[in-house]
Amino acid sequence: MGLTNHFPALILAILLGISFLSPILFRWVRKASAPALLLSLFLALVMAVYLLIQTTQVGEFSYYMGGWPPPWGIELKINLIRAYMLIVVLAVSLWIMVYALKDLEHELKTDVLGWYYTLYALVVASMAGMALTNDLFNLFVLMEICAISACAIISIKEDRACLEASFKYLILSAMGTGCFLLGVAMVYMVTGHMNYDLVNEYLPVAVEQYPNNMFAASALFIVAFGTKAALFPLHVWLPDAHASAPSPSSAMLSGLVIKIYAFGLFIVFYQIFPRSLLDSIPLNEIILWLSSMGIMFGSIFAMVQVDLKKMLAYSSIGQIGYVFLGIGLDDTIAMTGGFYHLLVHAIMKSMLFMCAGVIIYTTGIRQIKQLGGIGQVLPITMIAFTIGSASMIGIPGTGGLISKWYLALGALEIGRPIFVVIILASSLLNAIYYMPIIVNAFMQQEEFAYEVKAVPRQMLIPLIIGMIAIVFLGVFSRPVIVLLENGLQLFF
Amino acid sequence: MGTLENQIVRITSRLVAPFIQVYGIYVIIHGHLSPGGGFSGGAIFGASLVLVALSFNLEVGAKQISHDTASILESGGALGFVITGLVAIALGANFLANQSAGFPMGQTGQLFSAGAIFIITFFLGIKVASTIVTLFYNIIEGEDKSGDAH
Amino acid sequence: MLIKIAHNYYYMVAILLFIIGMHTMLTHSNLIKKVIAMNIMDTAVFLLFVAVGYTYGGAAPIVTAPANEVLYVNPLPGSLMLTGIVVAVSITAYALSLIVKIYRFYGTVDYDEICLIRSQE
Repeated sequence: MGLTNHFPALILAILLGISFLSPILFRWVRKASAPALLLSLFLALVMAVYLLIQTTQVGEFSYYMGGWPPPWGIELKINLIRAYMLIVVLAVSLWIMVYALKDLEHELKTDVLGWYYTLYALVVASMAGMALTNDLFNLFVLMEICAISACAIISIKEDRACLEASFKYLILSAMGTGCFLLGVAMVYMVTGHMNYDLVNEYLPVAVEQYPNNMFAASALFIVAFGTKAALFPLHVWLPDAHASAPSPSSAMLSGLVIKIYAFGLFIVFYQIFPRSLLDSIPLNEIILWLSSMGIMFGSIFAMVQVDLKKMLAYSSIGQIGYVFLGIGLDDTIAMTGGFYHLLVHAIMKSMLFMCAGVIIYTTGIRQIKQLGGIGQVLPITMIAFTIGSASMIGIPGTGGLISKWYLALGALEIGRPIFVVIILASSLLNAIYYMPIIVNAFMQQEEFAYEVKAVPRQMLIPLIIGMIAIVFLGVFSRPVIVLLENGLQLFF
Repeated sequence: MGTLENQIVRITSRLVAPFIQVYGIYVIIHGHLSPGGGFSGGAIFGASLVLVALSFNLEVGAKQISHDTASILESGGALGFVITGLVAIALGANFLANQSAGFPMGQTGQLFSAGAIFIITFFLGIKVASTIVTLFYNIIEGEDKSGDAH
Repeated sequence: MLIKIAHNYYYMVAILLFIIGMHTMLTHSNLIKKVIAMNIMDTAVFLLFVAVGYTYGGAAPIVTAPANEVLYVNPLPGSLMLTGIVVAVSITAYALSLIVKIYRFYGTVDYDEICLIRSQE
């Protein structure tokens, strides 16, 4: 029994360990704390890649915490989709952290940096845990950890807007987790289990005996994950929170945190709930229409924003809609598209927030209309912004096209062409609010009117990596698509 | 100096605090035998420190356990938990395994029994007690500290 | 129907508390009240959970060596809710420290007044 068997637990142990260690490190060996965080994120990523390779060879496998098998102990489970989520979370958070090291220096006071690393590692650890866990109550605890630390990486900036935004976020996510816990209680009442697989085994009988109970539970789950992931009518907390946070936190929150809850909803629908429940009440239909409205209204709200980061935040509401659309369409191809969009959007939205961060770092401006001519002074940043926007719109050669293509194919496959129309319309809307920025930035004749600091290399390298990743995902999408198709087969 | 009421509060709290602390430690180390454990015991212990700080003032409270010590203990307690889990891996069992990793089980009902649970409860007690103190300091001082409070 | 409800009154009380908490949390503008309501909401779920685990006539689930055959209360919901309480405590503490900071900026803990102050700037 080698060390490799323990990788699922070790990923979590390393991330939690570094989060507790970094305040101490920051106090005593200040220089080592940032490299230690990067190193542990990297180690966790290596382990996650190993897990992916292992799961392609042996299929689904489990890890029992403390050696206790399911009805008693907590089970961690690895299959293709979970390993995929794990890698997305770890890779993107490592990438953001590289960028964050420089950005945080000017956005935060120096003495709270150690705490920021703690909170960052906690967010990553809880998300990795959510991708791995196979236990409802464990999921609840991880959701709460994620909620608190996600709020804290907003409020750590300590200006008025941040405090208010994070309070709003905290209250609404507390409502979300309250609903989730009540839903778990409903499920526990009728099944007597917390483990996903055991719940799934007993639910078909329970649904027949106590249908009302399960209807209530499913409604609660939708509200819980919808609030957390900013599904359309429950998105009110998102724009303030994501716009006012320090740029690395915005990238983290918009890129990853809302996605992991979409993944949570996917797990609840397709691993825990039996098919009979999904067929007997139109849960997917609700998700479909809410996400469609999110896609449209998110883009429409984004058009009227004057603040760059706020516009990006509203755009996230639209983009998370695509992921939910993939989940709601209940079709392998569409869901592949949804999950592919999860990866692509994690990269492109993080990159756009990084660009916004660079702009704020170098010039200090946030208003969209002040950006005219900025392409001449910050060429690489604005090229990155252009590629990110192109991917948002879905221009060929970028990752955004592939996910939309698969979503549209899936919608046609199950005979719902209306959603193809929605996808096309929203692409158009995306173009309406992203194109003017790019055109202004590059085409304007006048000189850029504000003072510009030099861009540190540490900030540019992540942007270049992001550009390459997006184009790569747009051109060589096949491996990921195949992986997702194989992975999703387990759930149908 | 303080009024008579102040004196009463101070003397009482000074008198009561050691007993509360002993009770807290009792609850922590009997966590595997009786109701209670790391969280409840730690909360009791932390409450006694907060009580002293409240009835005197912050300097006297900080003399017992300073903010810095509390935050280091807080990280240390949590790290101890993780390390106990890792020790189980080093001994060849799963993460956080107890008997199967070879932790001594002892006699059921005795104080030194239940292997890793005893150790974990102990670390948990330290963590919770110091967390309560840090929380208190954070809310009291507030001014120049970060907003995160856990 | 009514008899059913009367038999399961503890569930009904828990749900009622949950709704009270949620309603207060979403409609009241006082931030402290929001936090209190959040706690009410969480407590309601804890009550429901613990009620689920209760066995009529059950004893406290402590192993007294050697094991005798008494009916035990299900210990799992209780221990899970202990974790839930810890989580609720930490969220409350965090929310309160946020309120302290917000109060320092605005001099009020009422959300409507905060909005008013912001709109006047």
